[in-house]
Amino acid sequence: MAQAASNLVETRALTKQYGAAVLAVQNLNLTIHEGDVYGLLGPNGAGKTTALRMLTGLIRPTSGTAIVAGGPPGSHQSLARVGAMIETPAFWPYLSGRDNLRLLARYCRLPDSRVPPVLTEVGMTEHASRAFGTYSTGMKQRLGVAAALLKDPALLILDEPTNGLDPQGMVEFRNLIRDLGRGSRTVLLSSHLLNEVEQICTRIGVIRQGTLVAEGTIDEIRGGSHLVVRATPFDEAKRILEQAVGADKITVQDGTFSLSVDTSQAAAIARDLVTGGVELTELRPGERSLEDVFIELTGTESGS
Amino acid sequence: MILNSIRAEWFKVARRPSMWITVALLLAVSIGLEYVLVYVVATHPPRGAAAARLGNALTNARIDLYPASLIKKTLANMSGLYGIFALIIGVLVQGSEYAWGTVKTSHLQLPGRITIAFGSLVSLAVLGLLMAIGLFAIDGAAAYAVALFDNVSVSWPSATDLIKGVAAAWLILYFFELLGFTLATVLKGSAVAIGVGLAYVLVIENLVFTLLDNLGDTFTRIHELFPIANAGYLQQAFGAVRAAEAAGPPPVDANHAVTAIAVWVIGLAVIACGVLRVRDIT
Repeated sequence: MAQAASNLVETRALTKQYGAAVLAVQNLNLTIHEGDVYGLLGPNGAGKTTALRMLTGLIRPTSGTAIVAGGPPGSHQSLARVGAMIETPAFWPYLSGRDNLRLLARYCRLPDSRVPPVLTEVGMTEHASRAFGTYSTGMKQRLGVAAALLKDPALLILDEPTNGLDPQGMVEFRNLIRDLGRGSRTVLLSSHLLNEVEQICTRIGVIRQGTLVAEGTIDEIRGGSHLVVRATPFDEAKRILEQAVGADKITVQDGTFSLSVDTSQAAAIARDLVTGGVELTELRPGERSLEDVFIELTGTESGS
Repeated sequence: MILNSIRAEWFKVARRPSMWITVALLLAVSIGLEYVLVYVVATHPPRGAAAARLGNALTNARIDLYPASLIKKTLANMSGLYGIFALIIGVLVQGSEYAWGTVKTSHLQLPGRITIAFGSLVSLAVLGLLMAIGLFAIDGAAAYAVALFDNVSVSWPSATDLIKGVAAAWLILYFFELLGFTLATVLKGSAVAIGVGLAYVLVIENLVFTLLDNLGDTFTRIHELFPIANAGYLQQAFGAVRAAEAAGPPPVDANHAVTAIAVWVIGLAVIACGVLRVRDIT
């Protein structure tokens, strides 16, 4: 499969089926550009973790292809440039945080000197001597990110990284991820939390029942802006608006017009209504929230 | 990559307290049951009817404690009690990875699945060798102490025989480690793997062939291909301790036993690597 130079992840019709009945991921076509902080958004059980497991080579797709960081998932070429934390961070409980990272460094043929910088990066230096088994959830998550950073990867894959954290921990973790996504590093983050994705990500993909139902920037996913108009008398206002923008771009709900037009047309529309003898009571740009779009696309409410 | 994997796997094994606790228990059981307990009973024999029933057994058991019998004494429990310790170590090395979820952590690093498995197999081989040497060392020390207590001349087996004995012990222990490792891989955990392993070692092979061997030579020949039987044959190839001399010579020679166990070792390694290679890590 040819891969555009700027795409760090590209999948084509990636599918994972368990047995005859469970289609976990179906025809997933994912494109992640270099430098993206990409959010894979979907309700619980939508297939996010299965997709990430396929991208890291932990599970093999039933069909379809993928190129991740320059190689097939799980290949030496790919893993050399990918750092990942899939689901709950798992480490050897009898080893200290530092020794866990030293162990992983041995797998990757990295020097032990690589360990202190990543511990510092995730704020774990002072806890590094404690056994992993004694860590709190937040510390485990941080060590998971530290492990993912060991190889200084071009692509960082984080699966529900704030799961199990308290509100303060979530805020700190989001800031950490935002920092990690600065510069040239690409981050692929899965989450079912809308506000998390909205705050951190530059592009998102929405997955539902194993299928990618939308992909783009947050503005693109929201579907752009529109104008909200309230005016009286209602019928006359409707006639003028239909003449101005076309009936197909007008929807009416509770006596309010919603115009699917560029917000730059607001002045012209106001002028038409006023010169037509209509009293304009409200004219403002309106935006669909990400939550509205999410519910529309997935039929569920997010956990945020 | 293979060297990195070996270093990483040994790093895990060498720093894991439960590994060394198991090894220490093995050595303690060896010296406690095989030397201290036997010596105490042999030096404080029962009187009356019990003494008549035992006959020369206690005298023979006491002579088996001297350094000249070190190899056959140390090998005597290799396919039973000591093997079970090795089985547990093999299960722990792999089964815990599934319990902790660290299989995925390892496989998200650079080496391939087979390379990581190879690192584990090498670590187990090293651990098995340390156990074999440790058993001979501690049994040797105990045998020397018994000889001093009894004021008998100390006569050691030749260095060549000792090396062969350590090698035989290592091969048997490594088979048991791999049996545990492979069961834990296939069953993705420790508890069931230990249960199945113990059932096989203690019951299944012996029970099945005790029944089948009565049906004719064909089944006896088949039995001679199985691992626990061959571990026993290999032990017996070094001679039986006096207490067990009545069992007679083994039906196959040491070469057959070594070859059969080696084939089982390779087979188990291939099964474990094959399962790790093709199975999804969930």
